[in-house]
Amino acid sequence: MSAAPDQVPLPNQPRKAACLALLVFAMVMTLAAFAEVGLARDGRIPAGLLGYGGGLAVLAGAAYYVQARFAPYADPLLLPLAVALNGLGLAMIYRLDLSTSRDVQDAIRDGKKVVTSGLASAGTQLQWTFVGILLFALTVLFLKDSKILQRYMYTLGACAIILLLLPIVPGLGAEINGARVWIFIGPFSVQPGEFAKLLLVVFFAGYLVNKRQAMSLVGRKIGPLALPRGRDLGPIMVIWIFGLGILFVQKDLGTALLYFGLFVSMIYIATQRISWVLIGVGMLALGILVATQLPFLGHVNQRLSIWQNPEPYFDGGCLLDSGKVVSVAPGTEPYIAAGNTVGSGLAACAEMGGKFADSAQLMKGLFALGEGGVLGKGLGQGEPWRTPLAFSDFIFDSMGEELGLTGLMVILLLYALIVQRGMKTAVSARDPFLKLFAGGVSFVLALQVFVIVGGVTRLIPLTGLTTPFLAQGGSSLMANWILIGVLVRMSHQARQPAPQAIQDEGMTQVVSLR
Amino acid sequence: MDKPLRWVTVFGLLLIFALMVQVNYIQGSQAEKLQTHDLNNRQFLDVFKRPRGKILAGGEVLVSSTKPKESENYARTYKNGEVFAPVTGYFNGGANGIERAYNSLLDGRDKRITNQRWFDQFIGKKALGADVETTIMPAAQRRAYEELRRANPNLRGAVVVMDIRTGAIVVMATYPSYDPTDVAPQTGLKGGERLVELEGKPNSKGEVNERNKRLKPLINNVLEDTFSPGSSFKALIAASALENGYSKDSAVPAPSTYLLPGTRTSLPNSHEGGACGGAGTAPLISTFAESCNTTYGILGAQELGTAKVLETAKEFHYDQRIKVEPDLSSVQSAFPDADGARTALASIGQGDNNATPLHIMMIAAAAANDGRIMKPYLVQRVRAADQSVLEEADPQQLAEPLSGGQADQLADMMRAVTSTGTAKGVGDVAGKTGTADIDGVEYNNRWFAGFAPAQNPRYAFAVFTQGIGSGGEAAAPIAVNVMREVLKK
Repeated sequence: MSAAPDQVPLPNQPRKAACLALLVFAMVMTLAAFAEVGLARDGRIPAGLLGYGGGLAVLAGAAYYVQARFAPYADPLLLPLAVALNGLGLAMIYRLDLSTSRDVQDAIRDGKKVVTSGLASAGTQLQWTFVGILLFALTVLFLKDSKILQRYMYTLGACAIILLLLPIVPGLGAEINGARVWIFIGPFSVQPGEFAKLLLVVFFAGYLVNKRQAMSLVGRKIGPLALPRGRDLGPIMVIWIFGLGILFVQKDLGTALLYFGLFVSMIYIATQRISWVLIGVGMLALGILVATQLPFLGHVNQRLSIWQNPEPYFDGGCLLDSGKVVSVAPGTEPYIAAGNTVGSGLAACAEMGGKFADSAQLMKGLFALGEGGVLGKGLGQGEPWRTPLAFSDFIFDSMGEELGLTGLMVILLLYALIVQRGMKTAVSARDPFLKLFAGGVSFVLALQVFVIVGGVTRLIPLTGLTTPFLAQGGSSLMANWILIGVLVRMSHQARQPAPQAIQDEGMTQVVSLR
Repeated sequence: MDKPLRWVTVFGLLLIFALMVQVNYIQGSQAEKLQTHDLNNRQFLDVFKRPRGKILAGGEVLVSSTKPKESENYARTYKNGEVFAPVTGYFNGGANGIERAYNSLLDGRDKRITNQRWFDQFIGKKALGADVETTIMPAAQRRAYEELRRANPNLRGAVVVMDIRTGAIVVMATYPSYDPTDVAPQTGLKGGERLVELEGKPNSKGEVNERNKRLKPLINNVLEDTFSPGSSFKALIAASALENGYSKDSAVPAPSTYLLPGTRTSLPNSHEGGACGGAGTAPLISTFAESCNTTYGILGAQELGTAKVLETAKEFHYDQRIKVEPDLSSVQSAFPDADGARTALASIGQGDNNATPLHIMMIAAAAANDGRIMKPYLVQRVRAADQSVLEEADPQQLAEPLSGGQADQLADMMRAVTSTGTAKGVGDVAGKTGTADIDGVEYNNRWFAGFAPAQNPRYAFAVFTQGIGSGGEAAAPIAVNVMREVLKK
């Protein structure tokens, strides 16, 4: 019994050429961005073009080789998309780097005040890009079958918890910019949360694959809603409490939202039951409502207050218990009364018994966006360095100033494409664990982009998360490159043609043993 | 699992779509609002990076922006800066004069320009500033400034000349003045220091320039400060008399002295003999020509009374700020609402009476223009960089305090001043002289306000200087010289 040749479905083709063409396009875009920075600043091609642009080109070429050689059936878009975002971010950081940015040098020479807290460094970012792409290559090389991860789900879950708790360990972690998310190992500072995020997706996927039958089938039906059993609510309660814990201890609304949103979406994918989403959203709303009512969680109220009306907080504002906001910016009466020096705003606010916050960074970011308008100032021709942390948390606004609305649309489309390709990988995967895993990592990327970009564009209250691939920072780059590596590997597995029969005569069955 | 995966994909992409909508909202529709937000100091940092439009007078470029090779910022140069400073004002981020009044047009950020050049804006090309053409006659303005400087280099003075039929100000000179180039953007910190010095405030070393503190070179004397008008104010008392049933030939009291009501002080005339030499009464026109203090003291304090004089002053907008251009207005002049003695003194332009040269000029303008005062203005038209006209002056009547007949009589009285009176034979002008004593100093405020030519007048003017001597001797000849230049055209 042999199948007629025309009945065999066409196997997926490796799309190495498409991937290479797109990769070349991404590199041209990046190199052009470097060239524009130099031409706009000094009227000539910058020396950094060879070093940084060339360095990135070599790395991207190596990544392509690994993918083409070991995962030829991989989705051709993922690698070029990641390289394009990484390259644009690198060009922006190069532009903001103190040693290349002539505006900053001029401003320092003229004796103007320049925000130098933490510095942009294109060199460091290129090093981390190197490490990131190396991790991508290693992931593609050694994660032959992503299903292996399922075996270690509890180990990885425990690792995630440990990583998340590390910054709280005295001596290892430290508070930077009001958030306790860093640990220090020798000269390096690492944000373990970035890696914990990936490990948690593995754990959730493994756990839900095991439990999804019970969670989706057992339960009572009330109207159109199928409610789960009480004891199946356990895990979501744990995550909920965990999220609130992050909110209490780390005062990080964004991260809490990220983990909770991730878990709810994965339960929904696993069980197909909309009731889980409703329960999740309800719990989240309850959590936020409780947080705004508790006096010691006043900062949640304040975040909301800044978001709704940032003006009075510019350069320092004080939220009183009555709900009134008093400006304690330099030059105001309370500021002068409290000593008229750095920190007087905080002191004045403490005296009034209110909570101090400063919206200057958010406002300056918005001003940068306003300055950019539709077509932007052009790379190297704006003044994005006026916003504090223009190269990390606010790199999206810096991009907006110089590349304009059109540039930001491109960047958001790049993110949307990564999400879409990741989801497509999930849909085409054959194994439930892989489906959940790919769906989870893709959704967490979308959610993270939403939380940070929504924050800096004042769509939602601002919380500090990294902008994937764009923002300066090693941990984020490494974690995101691993994520792309995993997706590439999984898409290769999903699109790989099924093993062919060695012989087509007789009744021999080919059994894949993996 | 594929169905929920698809829904999660849709939701994830919707999140990114929401970001796109928000970015469109912020950068598309809110951009301008953010650029001009009060808290956004970027708008003040890049004002020097745009070329500003020119300011012109009679086809001559007074102010222009140029970009030096070595700098990113535009320099602003003022031709004959000291002469035209009261008109152009200065610009160094802050501004005054036309530089302030027309800032958004000069700067290129006015809606009328940006709407016209929307495509340039869309592709990020900077909108060019518009050019402002003033009504000033440069030759006459130079002459006026020169005359003021010569009249007394160490005291203050002002000349203002207005076209009575349109309200166009053709001369607006002030002394002492300053050169706005000294404080222009290219001067940097030195310019800021110079501005503080011009304001007469302590500089960074705590030093105060005493001369500048006293003479206020930044102040436009025509609009921004008031001085005792002396007898030049008698024109307003005469106008009030004409409004209240007197004619130029009515017999009015003209004693040699007048005991101020309720006091033991007696008010003398400035000279013996003539109309106010003790005959008791004299025709109004003669008392005007010879500037009898007693007559106008009695008219103001007794025959008309404070209320009626105040009423007339109000009709002449004496108590109001005169808006010459947006953000460029005069201060108020003031006639006191007081008892007889003070009213009598104020009626001869002394005591609590203080006036801007502009307000004094407007009295003469009404006399010369059938009782009507046109609204003064300084800018004839504004042209965009492509020479299209964005704004054109539209002459408007400000007030009509006198009837045609009353105005003619007041004009005749002013003609009498230069034919037989205190400024006899000075030239082809008509007007009222004024000499105000200033307490505690030796010099006087010397005034001459009127119109030219004496017959068929076209321009009204006021000349104010400080120094020894009278308005007839010191101010009237300046007026004649300036008006000769004005009428040359």
